[in-house]
Amino acid sequence: MEEKLHDIRQTFQKFKAAYATNSFDTCSNLLSQLKVKLTELPGLPPLFKPSPTAVQELLLARDIFEHAVVLSVKMEDQDAFERHFLQLKSYYTDTRGLISPSEQEYPILGLNLLRLLVQNRIAEFHTELELLPPEAHENPCIKHAVELEQSFMEGAYNRVLSARQAVPHETYVYFMDLLAKTVRDEIAGCSEKAYDSLSVADAKKILMFSSDRELQGYVIEDHPNWEIRGSSVYFQKVKDLAPCKEIPSLQLINQTLGYARELERIV
Amino acid sequence: MGLDVEMKTAEPAAAPSPLIHLKAAIALIEKGVAKKEMRLMARAIRQMLAVRRRLKASTVSSFLNYALPSGSEALSRLLGFVAKVELGDASMEVDTPPSMAQSSQLSYKQSVLPELESFSYLLVIIFLIDQKHLEDAKVCSSAAIKRLQQFNRRTLDVLAARLYFYYSLSYERTDSLADIRGTLLALHRTATLRHDELGQETLLNLLLRNYLHYNLYDQAEKLRSKTLRSDSHSNQQLCRYLYYLGKIRTIQLEYTDAKECLLQAARKAPSSARGFRIQCTKWAAIVRLLLGEIPERTTFMQQGMRKALLPYFELTNAVRIGDLELFRAVADKNASVFYADKTHNLIVRLRHNVIRTGLRNISISYSRISLRDVASKLHLDSATAVADAESIVTKAIRDGGIDASVDHSKGWMQSKETGDIYSTQEPQQAFHSRIAFCLNTHNEAVKALRFPPDAHKKELESAEKRRERQQQELELAKHIAEEDDDEF
Repeated sequence: MEEKLHDIRQTFQKFKAAYATNSFDTCSNLLSQLKVKLTELPGLPPLFKPSPTAVQELLLARDIFEHAVVLSVKMEDQDAFERHFLQLKSYYTDTRGLISPSEQEYPILGLNLLRLLVQNRIAEFHTELELLPPEAHENPCIKHAVELEQSFMEGAYNRVLSARQAVPHETYVYFMDLLAKTVRDEIAGCSEKAYDSLSVADAKKILMFSSDRELQGYVIEDHPNWEIRGSSVYFQKVKDLAPCKEIPSLQLINQTLGYARELERIV
Repeated sequence: MGLDVEMKTAEPAAAPSPLIHLKAAIALIEKGVAKKEMRLMARAIRQMLAVRRRLKASTVSSFLNYALPSGSEALSRLLGFVAKVELGDASMEVDTPPSMAQSSQLSYKQSVLPELESFSYLLVIIFLIDQKHLEDAKVCSSAAIKRLQQFNRRTLDVLAARLYFYYSLSYERTDSLADIRGTLLALHRTATLRHDELGQETLLNLLLRNYLHYNLYDQAEKLRSKTLRSDSHSNQQLCRYLYYLGKIRTIQLEYTDAKECLLQAARKAPSSARGFRIQCTKWAAIVRLLLGEIPERTTFMQQGMRKALLPYFELTNAVRIGDLELFRAVADKNASVFYADKTHNLIVRLRHNVIRTGLRNISISYSRISLRDVASKLHLDSATAVADAESIVTKAIRDGGIDASVDHSKGWMQSKETGDIYSTQEPQQAFHSRIAFCLNTHNEAVKALRFPPDAHKKELESAEKRRERQQQELELAKHIAEEDDDEF
């Protein structure tokens, strides 16, 4: 047991060195090696066999997975993040009585919440939120994610974008960038319904572009039905409906037939 | 029916002794086993529950001595539990003859029906829980479950379901629910293998309750979606299931489904289950607020529920007015109540609805209003209030919440004329939803009439009487046909 632990520790040191120099390939290789070696330790979930080295094993394994999670953020690999995080989660929930809580726990939980928000998995976002105890809501990382979700729901997108400046942890930057892109699409969608036209300067500000060229590129690419005439962007309004609207006859027929059927059943 | 009359005459005759009720329950159980009638078991349990409040340690021990053969392991174990309670009570009660001294009621039985044994276990567990000896109740119920697993009799199903419930309850009261999760899952598997539908239903509900207690909504949903459910055998279990399902759906943001489940649960629950109905109403009110509709005042003013629902009533008020300040104040004032009900996270989600309602009110009242005024009316206090207000308004327009357009350069919001609503589809849709609801209720009522429901005693009587009558008719027919009738 001891030699295995020692062996793993050494590999982990190498991993940390490679990580510091941002050589991601070496990191991934070492990580796979580490994961294989971890399967040999009996003190880890799901076995949780108590042994004198169990606490050390748990601490070491948790450390490794936390680094793995942060690495996948740096490598911008969302699937890897999800996998590593799921493994890490069992460490957080099941080992609460066995080892002291990690200081990376809340930042990583916040990171996961942010990821769910970016991927628009709001239902899972809320189920995860339910699992957190009330004191967790005071933690800045969690509070950041929750407020972000609220602003997103309400539509105060400028608050979302300004929150990007106030990230509690540098690992959040990647997700904030992704979020910025989603927000931009949302703003564009809202603007086209709400405004008749916008001056180019205003459109630039709202959509957060820094130059006219970018704005034009965006419009041509994503919104071909907008027009840039002179110094204004004109949003295509939906044509006014013709006076005789189409009657949804199929739906009405179905409904009426349903009523007739039910009434017949009344004895 | 006959038995009930007996009870009534017995009561004024002697002091209404719980012991007599319990002995009658024994008779019912024996009859039930002989005839393989589940309903008699349920009735026996109901009779026992009727005297639950009046049980004393002496009554329980004399019942045990009567029901179980002397010297049996179960008897000694159960008597041990009851004796502990008695020692606790001895100082308070005036005349409690020690249980061992009552030799007059010793049973002459040599062996005992497993049903009677389970019934005795059930009685002792209920008694212990009522007397707040929760640790003992825990131990007793674990012993009962172990004993139950040795049998595989269908007649035990009703009693077993009750025992599972009290097993879970005793662990819940001592805050150790996580321990029994494995056992409950194993029991559920066994019940499914044996096609014990009532047990399956009860255990599924207990498992859901277990998961929801620890906020494990994800796992609860996974369990629920993978389990096959047959028609419900018990109205109470159905109500519980609907309530848990409603809760899961609310957290998963599927508010329409959740509203349906919760309202159904509140409707179907028996009127004596006030606490349950209060909980359902609370969650239903929040879901309706989240959907954007305001629940009526009468839902909060129901008999006996007014005080409990007061925080939610204030909340509804704040949402209806659309005032963010008031909403914040109410949420802070009643924060402890919301935490206890586990609705706190949902209340946080309501903030968005408050703003939306406020915005709607503004857009209806003003034909044109500057964005700065909108921001101040909505009490959006941040450094960038106007820009916030603008984005919120544009989002609301896109979601179809309000009908307006924004002029960015002049900084105002202009409401569109709401056209003649009768020329649109709206009335037709509203009518359709009401018609569908009425027809649905009618169908469900008809369906409920067809099978003999468990909840109504009168129906129960008539089903039984009908069978007896049919049996008599059969016999008469046979007799008339002059066959050789050697009755078995």
